[in-house]
Amino acid sequence: MKKSCIAMLLAGGQGSRLYALTQDVAKPSVPFGGKYRIIDFPLSNCANSGIDTVGVLTQYRPLKLNSYIGNGQPWDLDVSDGGVYILPPYLGAHEQGSWFSGTANAIYQNIAFIEMYDPDNVLILSGDHIYKMDYAEMLRVHLDNEAACTIAVQQVSMAEATRMGIMSVDEKDFITEFEEKPKQPKSDLASMGIYIFNWKKLRAALIEDENDPNSSKDFGKNIIPKMLAAGERMLAFRFKGYWRDVGTITSLWDANMDMLSPDLINLFDPDWPISSRSPVCPPHFTSKDARIVHSIVTEGCEIFGEVENSVLSSSCKVGRGAKVLYSVLMPGAVVGDGAVVEYAIVGENTVIGAGAHIGAPPDGTDAWGVATCGPDITIRAGAVVPASAMIYSGEEV
Amino acid sequence: MNNFHGVIFAYSASPELRELVSHRTAASMPIFGRYRVIDFALSSLMNAGIHDVGVIMQRDYQSLMDHLRNGKAWDMSRKDGGLRLLPPFGMPGYHSGNYFGTMEALNGVGEYIRDIPQKYVVLLLGSMCANLDLRAAARMHLHSGAPITAICSTTVPDAPQHRYIVGPDGYVKEALFYVEGESRGFTSLEGYIIDKDLLVKMMEECAAKNLYRFHRDAIASYLAGGGKMDVYLHEGYYMPIRSVDLYYRANRDMLDTDKRHDLFCAERPVRTRHHSLVSTYYGEKAVSSNSLVGDNCRIMGTVEDCVLSSEVVVEEGAYLKDCVVMRRTTIGKGARLENVIVDKNCIISSDTALKGNEKLPLVVPKGSRI
Repeated sequence: MKKSCIAMLLAGGQGSRLYALTQDVAKPSVPFGGKYRIIDFPLSNCANSGIDTVGVLTQYRPLKLNSYIGNGQPWDLDVSDGGVYILPPYLGAHEQGSWFSGTANAIYQNIAFIEMYDPDNVLILSGDHIYKMDYAEMLRVHLDNEAACTIAVQQVSMAEATRMGIMSVDEKDFITEFEEKPKQPKSDLASMGIYIFNWKKLRAALIEDENDPNSSKDFGKNIIPKMLAAGERMLAFRFKGYWRDVGTITSLWDANMDMLSPDLINLFDPDWPISSRSPVCPPHFTSKDARIVHSIVTEGCEIFGEVENSVLSSSCKVGRGAKVLYSVLMPGAVVGDGAVVEYAIVGENTVIGAGAHIGAPPDGTDAWGVATCGPDITIRAGAVVPASAMIYSGEEV
Repeated sequence: MNNFHGVIFAYSASPELRELVSHRTAASMPIFGRYRVIDFALSSLMNAGIHDVGVIMQRDYQSLMDHLRNGKAWDMSRKDGGLRLLPPFGMPGYHSGNYFGTMEALNGVGEYIRDIPQKYVVLLLGSMCANLDLRAAARMHLHSGAPITAICSTTVPDAPQHRYIVGPDGYVKEALFYVEGESRGFTSLEGYIIDKDLLVKMMEECAAKNLYRFHRDAIASYLAGGGKMDVYLHEGYYMPIRSVDLYYRANRDMLDTDKRHDLFCAERPVRTRHHSLVSTYYGEKAVSSNSLVGDNCRIMGTVEDCVLSSEVVVEEGAYLKDCVVMRRTTIGKGARLENVIVDKNCIISSDTALKGNEKLPLVVPKGSRI
């Protein structure tokens, strides 16, 4: 059946700057904010915006992501005409086909999937941001302005602008210039990596770009500048709400800490629920000696120690006399009796031995950073893991 | 486990559950801050690989149907079979719509029971809390040589119960019906594994003689006629939800970590309908001591020895001690509640003081504004 708009979610990147956390899983399936995984945000936004057909492009370590998405039921995306589809790279006849070589190439290789739904427009999303956004509103603006492409943008500081894709716009918010990571930004409007394209125009641009041997097959670097140069109507869609990239350890930790302040992003909003596939566990238990201050705690946790300014995912355990301060515990993390975890991210099912000490408070030096223990690690009793440390699965600590 | 079919009785609620069952049947009572009582029967069946299950209901069943839906949460939404909801008057034949006992309830859905394709039927109460290992019980049934296996426990709950005394041959030699307190033998969970043909025969005999009780009529006459009955002993936690007191006690039992780990053991997860929610937030002055707290709560005050369901707000300065609070309830600033059961969707305004007694907790009915 013909669709007005379908979404393509780029979820194939490794997220190499999350190091140990993405050693075995793709970035979109990294746990976030107690109850979620990063991909819950774009998927829920799609469902809430009435976009019922989502292709999820996977490439790097997709197993967890595939099983997490399943049939899309937690997001109400298990519909009879449409739904959520995992799209890995594939071979055609005569072994034609290859790994996705860039964001644009990934969409190019899935032209046949998109054509099955014969959409007028295609929404391109990435799986590495935390935000609530009504794509239907963006689509309306896109259609009202008869744009070939509409790019969601957010105002950033000039310092940040040097690290992002920056748009200059005219008085009607049509894009006049696009620069990737400019040294001297001419504008403070940064691309959020969320695009709506007129499908016919995008299809033509993808085919043309594919045949360009000098192209790196990337939306930001190739497709957008080329369409702009060709004089297409390219519109900026200003988004003012909460939006955070969680591509680095620091930004992931920061955004988790933001979950303690509902003023920044309200996840309690029944009109815009962020849904997740989470296991059913009993309510969390707090013992007689537990102390929990300014923190979020999830089902299945058992708290016998102290928790302050922290984010605890489901089924975490904090032992007697243990302290968890300014930290993120991912699902199933265990903090042994008397251990201290501060300014740290502890991966899924990692066990911190009794009396161990993970991380340290900021000391004002540039060398300081959040300590990270990857998933499925056992830190032995009494071990000390300093600030900025990065412990990978399989390491002995 | 393709040869087993489940039937859950969810048609009655003990009057001693008072206000708690004015809107619902005992099987759909919210419990342990996350579940409905019937989740234990359903999960026990599911964990034994039994997917074809009928739920017999009779009145006040809207909340039960809202919870069960198509049975998806228990993998009972199947192409063939799966979960079947059995309200009264759903099929032709003998029934008055008023079930005075289990045999009458079974006869009310007689057509369904007779059409069960499996050889064995597992009968369970929707109003009991126990995480049963039905795989082990079924194995025992297949090897016992008796056409009925009674699921029993050594726990003695504070309510009238049926008890079975086992003879030297391992089969039941004596049954005691409606006894209170400590006595001989084992407590019946009123759960049975029974050969389907025998069940149908019992139903027909009871219908012919206008008898409607399962224990007093069907089982008593079966045993009197020399019928063999085996006993499967469930060793874990067991609590029948038959009065406000037992409901209150069951909730508070789960504050004991050993009992909690026993009922919610990793080998047999207890499933329930999924709500996508956010985590619970604790404020700067929050205190939560010896309590169970569901998701999406906001705890700004003090909670001691309590069980809180999801979406409960405890405002600053509020103090809850020994309370059970169901979903979507707000406890206002400075309110003080002790030994209180607060049903769903209540608002307790600021500085309200409510106090029950450990033996007789105060029940605030669903939707109250105080």
